[in-house]
Amino acid sequence: MIVVDGTLKRRLGVWLLATVGILGACLLVEAYTSAQRAADRAYDSQLEAAGLTIAEAIQWQDGRPIVEMPAAAFQILATDQQERVFYAILDTNGREVTGNLDGAVTPAWQRDAEDESVWMTVQHHGTPIRLHGRELTSAGWESLDPVQIWVGHTLSGREALAGDLFVRTLTRFLAMVLVAGLLMLLAIRTALGPVRRLRQLLRQRDADDIHPLHARVPGELYDMAETLNALLARQREGRDALLRFTADASHQLKTPLAGLQSTSELALQSDRPDDWRQALEAVHGSAARTSRLAGQLLSLARLRHAEETSLAATDLPALLRDTVMEWAERDVAQQHDLGLTPLPDAPLRIQGEPWSLREMIGNLIDNALRYTPPGSEITLGLERHIDSVTLSIEDDGPGVSDELLGRLHQPFERGGRQDTQGSGLGLAIVDSIARRHDAVMSVRNAPGHGLWIGIRFPLLTEET
Amino acid sequence: MPRHWLACLLLVGLMPPDVPAQSRMPLVVEAALDRQVIAPLLDAFARAHTDIALEYHDRSTLEVDRRAREVRPAPDVVISSAMPWQLARVNEGLAQPLDSDEARHWPAWAKWRNEVFGFTFEPIVTVYRLDLARHMIPPTTHADLHTILNTHQGLLRGRVTTYSPGRSGVGYTLFQQDARYSPRFWDLVAAMGAAGVSLEDNTQAMLDGLTEGRYWVGYNLLGSYAMHWAQTHPEVIVQVPQDYALVMMRMAFVHRDAPHPAAARAFVDFLLGIEGQRILAGSTPLFSVLPEVIGPYTAQRLRDQVGERLYPIPINASLLAFVDRLRRDAFMARWNREISILEDGD
Repeated sequence: MIVVDGTLKRRLGVWLLATVGILGACLLVEAYTSAQRAADRAYDSQLEAAGLTIAEAIQWQDGRPIVEMPAAAFQILATDQQERVFYAILDTNGREVTGNLDGAVTPAWQRDAEDESVWMTVQHHGTPIRLHGRELTSAGWESLDPVQIWVGHTLSGREALAGDLFVRTLTRFLAMVLVAGLLMLLAIRTALGPVRRLRQLLRQRDADDIHPLHARVPGELYDMAETLNALLARQREGRDALLRFTADASHQLKTPLAGLQSTSELALQSDRPDDWRQALEAVHGSAARTSRLAGQLLSLARLRHAEETSLAATDLPALLRDTVMEWAERDVAQQHDLGLTPLPDAPLRIQGEPWSLREMIGNLIDNALRYTPPGSEITLGLERHIDSVTLSIEDDGPGVSDELLGRLHQPFERGGRQDTQGSGLGLAIVDSIARRHDAVMSVRNAPGHGLWIGIRFPLLTEET
Repeated sequence: MPRHWLACLLLVGLMPPDVPAQSRMPLVVEAALDRQVIAPLLDAFARAHTDIALEYHDRSTLEVDRRAREVRPAPDVVISSAMPWQLARVNEGLAQPLDSDEARHWPAWAKWRNEVFGFTFEPIVTVYRLDLARHMIPPTTHADLHTILNTHQGLLRGRVTTYSPGRSGVGYTLFQQDARYSPRFWDLVAAMGAAGVSLEDNTQAMLDGLTEGRYWVGYNLLGSYAMHWAQTHPEVIVQVPQDYALVMMRMAFVHRDAPHPAAARAFVDFLLGIEGQRILAGSTPLFSVLPEVIGPYTAQRLRDQVGERLYPIPINASLLAFVDRLRRDAFMARWNREISILEDGD
């Protein structure tokens, strides 16, 4: 089930917005404070110039400072923004010799200004003003007392300049965001191009076209395309196997059916009851084989397409012993020496499905019985390893050639033998059951004689 | 004056019936500007704003300044020719800004902070009696005046008048501005002191003295009043100095604590508006500031007549220097020294 969870465009957009938002907030805070600082620097220098101009005009006479207040100082103070201006000249006692600050300069400020020039933003009669104070020590005939010069003005020029600088930064920033957004949209479109091409490629395919994809994709999409190709390859293999299986099964069924047909035709042409009986017996035997073949095909199909396995802790030695006992009593086993190596006393538990395990052991025995000459020795056994157990079957028959060993588990493979009654499905079924149990089947020629088949199961540990 | 009262009564009689007299919005204007000079404008305002009851007080500059600072309820509109004091009040925050079309379009050189507006353009003139012209060539420049004070010392002794810088804000401002332009101003002060100059409080007192024959020459009179006076007093001649002529501007602002701000704004807008300025140019000798206004009394026409040697006292923060206590003390000390410097030498 595919659920649409937003779009890449929206996701990228949200990320862009978040980034721009956070960065933008930081940037604008910085821009605001730096605009304020820049405006303060610009206008503070005006205050300083006005203070210096006044200081220049101060002279001493009769122990008192006298100043012909320079008109220029006021124009510098007022700036081109026509600020309201404030000034005061204080003597050593803090008395306002002249000015319009009406004693607003506190003794604490005066002490601050004694050491070095001070700058401050203060409230004056409800209006915020910027004040600058400096102390002047000058030579005089009678007095050497220092005086303090305080100048100040309202803030509208600073605010206007800071606002102007800020708005300029803001405009630049917004333009940048706009351009970045457009570029991002373009980038998203370009980046998603390969995905669109891949989609078109898949859409244009025929329903049963499972050849690998041939496309140029960016690195990020390589994994996906590769996975897609692997999926297609598996599909191809599965389909090939199915076709082969169907062809083989048809072929296998066709041989006995053709036999049946020819036998029954011969019988029909004869008038002798003896021939009829002989034909009927042949038909019976052939039908039985065909029926068994059909049964095996069915069980193989079931095993291969089993929806669910119901695995439970299973004692392998007990199951093996029971199954071998059962087979030893059958008629088909009477020509052979069917045996069991000594089994461990303690139970060896595996995660298993008893009916299919029994089917597996049965198929192994049946297989051995069919492909060995009468009188052969068939021995089953269990060998315990640290965390696994191997179920083995060994015979002293002719064995198979080395190049066939790897193919024995494939359906309809008879190990190059056409002389038996086997269908070639036994080991395929064994292999399928082994796979259901996460077990590994291995086949080799036993040293010196016959065939050895082992199935290695993972052991169920005691704790679990 | 009685004519004006009559006009007011007539106006009340003509008032539309839906505006009863007692419900009209009051408006208090404190002005250092002669009522009879400004009367045409006041009448026009009353006609244009029948819902406003204008109360106009004509006082001295110092009194106007005191009332703006101390008297409460405050006046709505403050008008004065004492430019430094007006600017100082605005700098203190006593004015409120105007945001009307008239205020915005007012020339930048004639306003400050959109709060105070120079709305007249009054040249500062020298006035002499015809008697003087019979004995010497009448002075046309500051230097001429200095020369005749020296060459006709005996004849002119006791017959020279000017403002008292101590008692008149306008006079003080004019002398400060004179002293900024030329150091020879102090020679002129010394010469006037040697001639036993009479210091008067206002232009009208000087004009009265000239008409009566007590004075032959007056220095730094308000051209507006002098020209108005000369129209009916032919013995008085008005001379706009040819080297440079100061120009004084009446400054008006709406008081921060104006009890009737709407009416106050309407009044100042009327002063600055094209109609008010046209009345100033046509019916008063106050001269209109606006270049587009046409009439006998406009800044433009004055420039055409006397050339570019008109120097308006700038309306900016530098005016604050004139009201600085120390600068005023220093100026007065020098004035007092210079005015008597030649007396001992005689």
